Amino acid sequence: MQVGNSSPDAASRTAIRLLMDWLPGASAVEGSADLDLGARADQPQLISAEIVEGETLGAIKVPGVTRTMVSEFGAFLDGIQKVRMIGRHFGVPLVLGTTGAAIRVRVNRRLVTWGGRPPKLEQKLYLPLRYLPQLSESLHARTPRKYGQFEVIDTSLADASGAFPSEHPTVLLERAMRAVDKHRDSLEDELAEAWCASTAAPLFVDGGISRNGRVASSMNAIGVIKSHFTLYVEGDALKTVVGLARGERSSVFQVTPRSRSEVMSWYLRLREPEGHDALWGLVRIEMSKCDNPTERADEISRWVLAESTPLALPDGRWDKMSYGIRDVEEFLRAIS
Amino acid sequence: MSEALGRVVATERKPNTPHEFHFWTAIDSPVGIGTIVRVDGANPMEGQIPHIYGIVVEGFSYTDLQTPMHDVLGHDGLPTTAGYAATERAEIRLYTAAVLRQIPEEPLQPVPMGQVFLAEEADVQVALRMDSYLREGANTGIPIGVYRAGGTEAVIYLDADFLLGPEAAHLNITGVSGLATKTSAVEWLLASLFKYFPEDKGSIAAVCFNVKGPDLCYLDKPGKVEKSDDALYEKLGVEAKPFENVRYFAPYTAKGLALNTFRNNEALLDNVTPLTWGLREVLQFAEVLLNKDDIDAKSDALIDFITENVVDKEFSDPILSKKHRVQSFADLDAWFRDVLQAMEKKDGESWRTHHVATIRKVRNRLSNISTRCAGLVTDSGAVSDLPFGSFEDRTVYVVDVANLEEDAQDLIFARIVSKLREHLERRDLGVKHLVVFVDELNKYAPGDGSDTYVRKMLLDIAERGRYLGLVLFSAQQFRSQVHRRVVGNSGTSLFGRMDPDELSTPGYAVLSPATRTKLATLEKGQLMIRHPHFTQPIFVRFPRPAVMQGREGSELYPQANDVSLDAAILRALRPLDPTITLPWVQEITALFTEEEIIRARNATILARPDNVKAYFAAQFRKIIPAQAAPRPLAGSIKSAPENDPYGF
Repeated sequence: MQVGNSSPDAASRTAIRLLMDWLPGASAVEGSADLDLGARADQPQLISAEIVEGETLGAIKVPGVTRTMVSEFGAFLDGIQKVRMIGRHFGVPLVLGTTGAAIRVRVNRRLVTWGGRPPKLEQKLYLPLRYLPQLSESLHARTPRKYGQFEVIDTSLADASGAFPSEHPTVLLERAMRAVDKHRDSLEDELAEAWCASTAAPLFVDGGISRNGRVASSMNAIGVIKSHFTLYVEGDALKTVVGLARGERSSVFQVTPRSRSEVMSWYLRLREPEGHDALWGLVRIEMSKCDNPTERADEISRWVLAESTPLALPDGRWDKMSYGIRDVEEFLRAIS
Repeated sequence: MSEALGRVVATERKPNTPHEFHFWTAIDSPVGIGTIVRVDGANPMEGQIPHIYGIVVEGFSYTDLQTPMHDVLGHDGLPTTAGYAATERAEIRLYTAAVLRQIPEEPLQPVPMGQVFLAEEADVQVALRMDSYLREGANTGIPIGVYRAGGTEAVIYLDADFLLGPEAAHLNITGVSGLATKTSAVEWLLASLFKYFPEDKGSIAAVCFNVKGPDLCYLDKPGKVEKSDDALYEKLGVEAKPFENVRYFAPYTAKGLALNTFRNNEALLDNVTPLTWGLREVLQFAEVLLNKDDIDAKSDALIDFITENVVDKEFSDPILSKKHRVQSFADLDAWFRDVLQAMEKKDGESWRTHHVATIRKVRNRLSNISTRCAGLVTDSGAVSDLPFGSFEDRTVYVVDVANLEEDAQDLIFARIVSKLREHLERRDLGVKHLVVFVDELNKYAPGDGSDTYVRKMLLDIAERGRYLGLVLFSAQQFRSQVHRRVVGNSGTSLFGRMDPDELSTPGYAVLSPATRTKLATLEKGQLMIRHPHFTQPIFVRFPRPAVMQGREGSELYPQANDVSLDAAILRALRPLDPTITLPWVQEITALFTEEEIIRARNATILARPDNVKAYFAAQFRKIIPAQAAPRPLAGSIKSAPENDPYGF
């Protein structure tokens, strides 16, 4: 779960000092480190999807792929999150979460921060108030619920089924991390919505676009997904997808996730997979539904392929990552 | 106020110090090596926002590329495809600046974080501490050039008190040959100096030794001035015109007919004065021409004896055949001959404690001088010299020694500088401050080699000249090869384009690699300046001098070829009296020897009489024209007697 190890930053020190004032018995965690949802609760899965281009899912060579092809993407959207357990109150983890999102637009082939909506960067305390009654009482009267500069998010609320999380520290920590993750998604969605409402140029979104209805229905938002916990193919279709060569895409299919918007999607191989694992250089692209999925998928595939240089190295996901997304991540890392 | 163009940054690895800081700028920012910037600190110190002035000495540029191999891979090893990438990598322009000045100056702290601005003209004045000598009441600023960066144009001033004394003095210029930097810079600086040297500091003049080429030979003639130079002249407040007062001095050629100068075209001769010296002038500086092997203690004693007792005096001795009055090399040789003959007759080995071998040696060496310095040293003893005692304010005196042998050059330099020094010590030179310009300092004051008289003199000027008002402007191609004490005593140093080999010598180690690179690639008209008020070297542009350049001058006024004696006399006298013609010269000189004619010419040029013709003619001895004697009538030849015993 740990992905980094660094000494406490100024925000962590401030937060734990505040909490220790309000929570007798709270203690700082030495050598606190950023945490990640690396070990996800979701299991990798295969799901069948409705093909909207042809009868069966096939491999299609993207036409017009050359070294000189031009990308029409005008901007890149990504977000970051940092989750740090800064202390504990007996067994209850005290978590400081940092979330951010930004759009970087391309001007004269260089990326600069979009002036239409400033980057978002927020730091919040993610606390299971149910198990911290002293805090819960003192916060009750506050609007907004803040301690010092930090807003407090209660991570011990009941879920859709009405069940509260157990007091198990790992459960509480995972709750906190999911809350941070969700918060990051909301920041990204907010920016994506603002872009789609105000700008005509296509936006390269890191991840899916189906979370938000306005974004999912916009012609300007293109989602590029690098992780494949869920593969929208089964059987022969799976063989077709993992067998895609560089510059080939799958037929377009429709993704209809639960509680999300419908979008059209397809797989695209960015780099030659020979000598690598099956998912090497493979991305899944999401776009809003349209009447001419073939032409649109070809065009967008060419854009995404054109974004495969310069390399996003030294990022470990460079086989799937566009340099523009790496730039947004570096930008957010610099300001967070 | 202008917009910020950068931000100060510091890391643990690359921290800022009180003398250096780092900042980054936008890619297209007009910052480069030599740009002056101002940092405005964010937090006030004792109620005052700190301002730090710095000059960029190093620049770095890099991207987020971790290794070049990633770029190769990213473009499949094809450099041509790199240009098609949709996005350029994030790139940084990171600069290192050396601190010029911090305000407040105490406490001296590391440069704080803050915004960086391009220095404006007022900032440049503060940064270089020029505000102290440009303020009302001081006004000792001498414009040397224009600093340019971004939209800023600022005149850079030298402090006259630190250029010509008394605080510091002397100026040294280094640069490769052939780029019109060294001589041009001096010509420009003299023009600026003559315009801006404060009246209340007294008069000023310059003596320039033209040691090579014709560059200094046309200072009184207008040259081409480009439009860009016009703008510089206007900014610097100096009129683009040639020097108003210039006087040239040159010795004759060995034959003695024409002046040995590039400026011996008839159209320019009116401003050229012959430089000729006699025995007395030369003997004072015999040490210059005689090396240590020649001048041992015994020889020195004999030369002293001759100088004190023989030259210009009635000299008699019982052993000599006659009384001698030695006024020229010819007289001296006759005196030596008489002494040696007398000693031979007496069969003596010494005379007045001087051994015969010493006498022969000194005779040999001294007699040689007139041969080695022919054209400068005259047998006749005629003296034509610089106007010591009546030097004029804002006048350039050019001594052209370019075509002379090394010995003659050394003699001229040593004697003129000694005379200048003597007169300045006595405060009777005619001007209060004098600039002496010497090029090729590598040759005259080398860092290694034997200690010559000329080098000793240059060291003396460099170390003590400023107290007298005698200031050395020197130039050379290789500063590292010049004596350390000469360049070390130069308060101000200018650098034109430099040879990379020279830049690799230890003397330039204090400069950053980027500054050294810039020095190796400077354009014509650009200089790097070090001056006591500037804590770091500054780059400036100066205008091309408004005088005719050597090459142009030598094409327009070609050097006169060797001419006949009559033509040489005509050329010498016509500037004094334009009515003189060749037939007149031929008529007057027809009966006289070449030596007599040259002596008459020299006397006339020296006297510059109102009636040139009469004066010239009066120099010759009276000669009654030979008349043909009546041929005696030839008598008839008597026939031999028949009984003549010797007849055949």
